Amino acid sequence: SAAARRPWRLFGAMCLLRLPRITQPLEKEEEEMAALMEQIELEKSLYSDHEMRKLEEEEQLKRKMESLYDEDEARGKTVVMAQDLEEKWEQMFLRFKAAPRITDADKSNDRMSLNRKLDSNLMLLVKQKIGNQELWLLPQVEWQPGETLRSTAERAMATFLGDRIQAKVLGNAPYGIYKYKFPRAIRTENNVGAKVFFFKAFLQSSDLSQAELKADYLWVTKKELGDYLKSEYLKKVNRFLLD
Amino acid sequence: DALLACHRSYKSRPTHGIGKFKYLLPKELPKRRKEKVQMKEINAGTEYQYGDINIQMTSYDLCLVEHFAQYVHRLCNRLSIRVNESYAMPTKTNEVLFLEEKGSKMQLDAVLTTHQRVVQICGLSSTFAPILLEIIQSSQPEGVHLLMKQHTEADFKSRLKSRPELEELLAEMS
Repeated sequence: SAAARRPWRLFGAMCLLRLPRITQPLEKEEEEMAALMEQIELEKSLYSDHEMRKLEEEEQLKRKMESLYDEDEARGKTVVMAQDLEEKWEQMFLRFKAAPRITDADKSNDRMSLNRKLDSNLMLLVKQKIGNQELWLLPQVEWQPGETLRSTAERAMATFLGDRIQAKVLGNAPYGIYKYKFPRAIRTENNVGAKVFFFKAFLQSSDLSQAELKADYLWVTKKELGDYLKSEYLKKVNRFLLD
Repeated sequence: DALLACHRSYKSRPTHGIGKFKYLLPKELPKRRKEKVQMKEINAGTEYQYGDINIQMTSYDLCLVEHFAQYVHRLCNRLSIRVNESYAMPTKTNEVLFLEEKGSKMQLDAVLTTHQRVVQICGLSSTFAPILLEIIQSSQPEGVHLLMKQHTEADFKSRLKSRPELEELLAEMS
């Protein structure tokens, strides 16, 4: 029976990612390159239909102004000139207002809202009590024998965020593992330490109107993780996070 | 003299045809037109491996889609994933008519073309598949829709043109 006893307790943790909504801003070199390529393409390109039409109509106008003879074809259908169309499109464009890239949540640095950094991944951090300490962790729940680790992670997500979460778990294999030993005071023969397996999931819907059970939660980017997580934990978590 | 002395090996010269090599290669038979390729790999097993997977990218912007398809193809080459095919589906044109009723009825037309590129991948191990998916998702450009699905016969048939005369004859026969 010594072989059957496992001294490690297993936990399944879920790293819930909210995918970025907007592309990240271009770097300086990328912007310069883009401008240069645009200029090259513009100079190399040929005229489009609309531009040809515009040029022809300008020439017609000029001819009408200089010499007062009307063309024999008597074009009745040039009611709408290309210039008018362009002006109309310009007006429509001016009326269009794009949504702001830096939202209110950014300005107030409200870390509990999902609207914060729209161009990077946001992760869920929850305050949990382990042993005597209250720590900021990725939501984790202990593994119970008879269920797969992936369902443990899903259960962890469900306990913290409610049942109706539209998140897509990626694959059955864990992404990372963090193991630690308990301090000597608590260590027994059965419980030497704990191993935490990390799973990843993508958040599908962007509104979390369902109440969150525990009030201390944060949505945090990869760079801000260092403010909250312990260094060992952070090292293992950083290994599987893409920027 | 120098003009007349051009060194062309005529058939009488002993070195005529010295550079020929095609007779040494094995003979290629002419290709048949019909290609009925249906590959289905194991989906269950000790090592989970997906069969043929299609990554379909659709967008209104042609350059973006093409460049993204190239990027995905090169990424798979780098990660030594076998790419079966990478092809384009025919473009669909949509005409958008605005019916504005401000005084006189005006119709503004807009012509939108939808382009689609498909990269077909074989031999993805299931431990690696979510990582690949995440990489592709995070490097998706704006305005490009991504779809990953398994390759089915219907997908294969959608590329082929239907032959109405053949179908008519078949219907008459049966």
